[in-house]
Amino acid sequence: MVDVYLVGVGGQGIITASKIIGDAAILSGKKVVLSETHGMAQRGGSVVCTARIGDMSSALILDGQADVIVSFELLETLRALNKASGKTIVITSTEQIVPLSISTQKLHYPTLEEVRIEVGKVAKIFIQVDAPKLAEDSSVPKSSNIVMVGALAGTGVTGIERRHFEKAVEMNIPRWVPENLEAFAKGFQVAQGT
Amino acid sequence: MDRILEARPGSKILLLGNEAIARGALEAGVAVATTYPGTPASEIGDTLARVAKDAGIYFEYSINEIVATEMAIGAAASGVRAIVSMKHVGLNVASDALMTFAYTGTRGGFVLVTADDPSCHSSQNEQDNRYYALLGGIPLLEPSSAQECYDMTKEAFEISEKLELPVIVRTTTRVSHVRGPVVVGAIVPGAKKKEFVKDPMRFVTVPAVARARHLVLLQRLIEAEKLSEESHLNSIHNIGSGARLGIITSSAAFNYSMDAAAALESPVDILKLGFSHPLPSKKVIEFLKSHEVVAIVEELEPILETSVRALAQHESVRTKIVGKADGAFPRAYEFDQSIVAEGLAKAFNTRQGNASISSASPSALPVRPPVLCAGCPHSATYFAVNMAVGKKAVFASDIGCYTLGVAPPYNAADLLVCMGSSVGTAGGLALVNHQPVIAFIGDSTFFHAGIPGLINAVHHGHKFLLMILDNRTTAMTGHQPHPASDKGPSCCDITAVSMEDVVKGCGVKWLRVVDPYDVKLTTETVKEALKQAGISIIIARRECALIAKRDEQGAITKKHVIDQDACKKCRTCVDKFQCPAISSKDKVQNIDQSQCAGCSVCAQICPHKAIKGAE
Repeated sequence: MVDVYLVGVGGQGIITASKIIGDAAILSGKKVVLSETHGMAQRGGSVVCTARIGDMSSALILDGQADVIVSFELLETLRALNKASGKTIVITSTEQIVPLSISTQKLHYPTLEEVRIEVGKVAKIFIQVDAPKLAEDSSVPKSSNIVMVGALAGTGVTGIERRHFEKAVEMNIPRWVPENLEAFAKGFQVAQGT
Repeated sequence: MDRILEARPGSKILLLGNEAIARGALEAGVAVATTYPGTPASEIGDTLARVAKDAGIYFEYSINEIVATEMAIGAAASGVRAIVSMKHVGLNVASDALMTFAYTGTRGGFVLVTADDPSCHSSQNEQDNRYYALLGGIPLLEPSSAQECYDMTKEAFEISEKLELPVIVRTTTRVSHVRGPVVVGAIVPGAKKKEFVKDPMRFVTVPAVARARHLVLLQRLIEAEKLSEESHLNSIHNIGSGARLGIITSSAAFNYSMDAAAALESPVDILKLGFSHPLPSKKVIEFLKSHEVVAIVEELEPILETSVRALAQHESVRTKIVGKADGAFPRAYEFDQSIVAEGLAKAFNTRQGNASISSASPSALPVRPPVLCAGCPHSATYFAVNMAVGKKAVFASDIGCYTLGVAPPYNAADLLVCMGSSVGTAGGLALVNHQPVIAFIGDSTFFHAGIPGLINAVHHGHKFLLMILDNRTTAMTGHQPHPASDKGPSCCDITAVSMEDVVKGCGVKWLRVVDPYDVKLTTETVKEALKQAGISIIIARRECALIAKRDEQGAITKKHVIDQDACKKCRTCVDKFQCPAISSKDKVQNIDQSQCAGCSVCAQICPHKAIKGAE
């Protein structure tokens, strides 16, 4: 069984990413359950999706139980760390979406280095992905989420073959297929090289 | 074509629980589908709205849940199949119709889907709507996965027609918003038109008819219990063999029970109740008798627990029953595997199977609550109201994005209970308080439940200002249309209703319409409104910024920038106004160009004229 915990901010395409993981799992003949918490997320709140691949019934991931955390936003990586333990791979996008509380309450937004240190304290591996830049390079600026799915696929942890992920990308985003597959490949490469 | 329609019989597709309900309804040959949107139910309606035309069904976003239910009742009483969906609190609004419809019963299959929200992920309470099934004498199905959402919706129509009763399908957030593989069947179109067969002694519930029909309902419930006894939806799952321990459960709690039980050292049998009202008494008694200890695992209220205990008492069964009454399981918030594992350990007096791995407890992180978007017209309105009345007014708020105005810097909500309550509570607030009273209600919420309150206020002369925050859509739930919209679901033409006409028709004499992006005008209008002797209405009208951005008509002027030389670092734009595009770092304020919606409000409120349209 593989538990994938996806976090980020409303509008980053996290639900689409989770659907791609779900479709890829089905294509590869695996059991899968996904959940999403996004009540008021459209208004800039935190979003959490879970993808549990394997033979179980519950959709939720318990504290310390995530095999992979895929964080689409730097600060949200820290918020997700209660799901991490010594087995966890943490994939973090360097994208920063500064919440209003930083300005209004004069708080500190963490640096990439601070995040790396915090992740290092609990998790096994830290993979940093410059998703917005890689998305830009693949000529679909909005494909950061596909870059992150590519990185997840690149870790090999899910046990889902690359071609199933790619087919699932195509199924969920029928427009801009070559561009999105390029974004996927860039993320895949980053994870493979880490 | 849509995934919901194109999936072939026998194929396995990934569906959200709510989408699976929609597919199930289409396969059941539903003719009429209605809803009022609300999380976590919205995607049922949104999916059907999208495919209605291609599927050849009628769909509508009704004005509110009771009208949606009445629409479906009219259709089902005529003999076609109908489905109506809503969030849990929506059923409070619809319950008046449903309770008596159980007396008349239905001809065509009638399914009401209620999506409950344990833990209040996006709701004002976490009421347990299974009580409505008990209250009304209505059969209840509780799916626990996307596949079951699909299966049970189809089955609900069959049960409804067999018993001639409405059927409730009750989900929770973790059922409606869980995605999983669903093996689908064939979409078989059902009858769309009927000739109404008159039967007033059944369908017109004057007291004499109601008295007779109540007995019919009670008889039908006996038949319903027989169906429940035989139903494959109530099934036993053995984890290990020869178990002396048992679990009775339903809905999402079944999933957690399966995983928690698998981690126990002793074998456990699970009685899963998918058809949970009427309770299959014989099956439950038999299960109790064949186990020494039985834990009742259900989220929220101890409904199964109370019924099972009553059955055990009635049948003199001595099996130990453990549940919420023993403190093994909590009565608030949603469950997960570890809560159920802990409860089972208490109930069975065993060691917990897989204690959760200890993990990092995150230190205090900057919070990221949902906020009003960049360019949100509500933000502009609240700023203007703050300017006009300061903190001295009492604010009656309502359900929608604008409820977020409760947070600083606006603090624009003092009382909120339910849809439409701003208008009614404002009357009571104005009656007994010395402060001025301002009620805020969204456009969709105004149509939903604000109109009777408004007529009441006019009629009784209550003095307050009602501000209708009209962003031309039902924004919070995903931009569904409402009665003033000019574009509806795929199937049908609609007529836009004029909000001004409605307000005037309610008897209102003082009405102004403002563009909240004009801060000065809005502020002055609020001041003027509060001077009126009776009720005053301001419609603050400006399209939702998300829609404006999507349709690329966002920037009414152009994106804005801060001229750092002119900026006096007074922080008005971050402390008194709230815009996600404006940030402050090292005492310097900046506008994120990718987020700026071009509303120009910040430029209007800057005391030093330091914010300007970008070149």
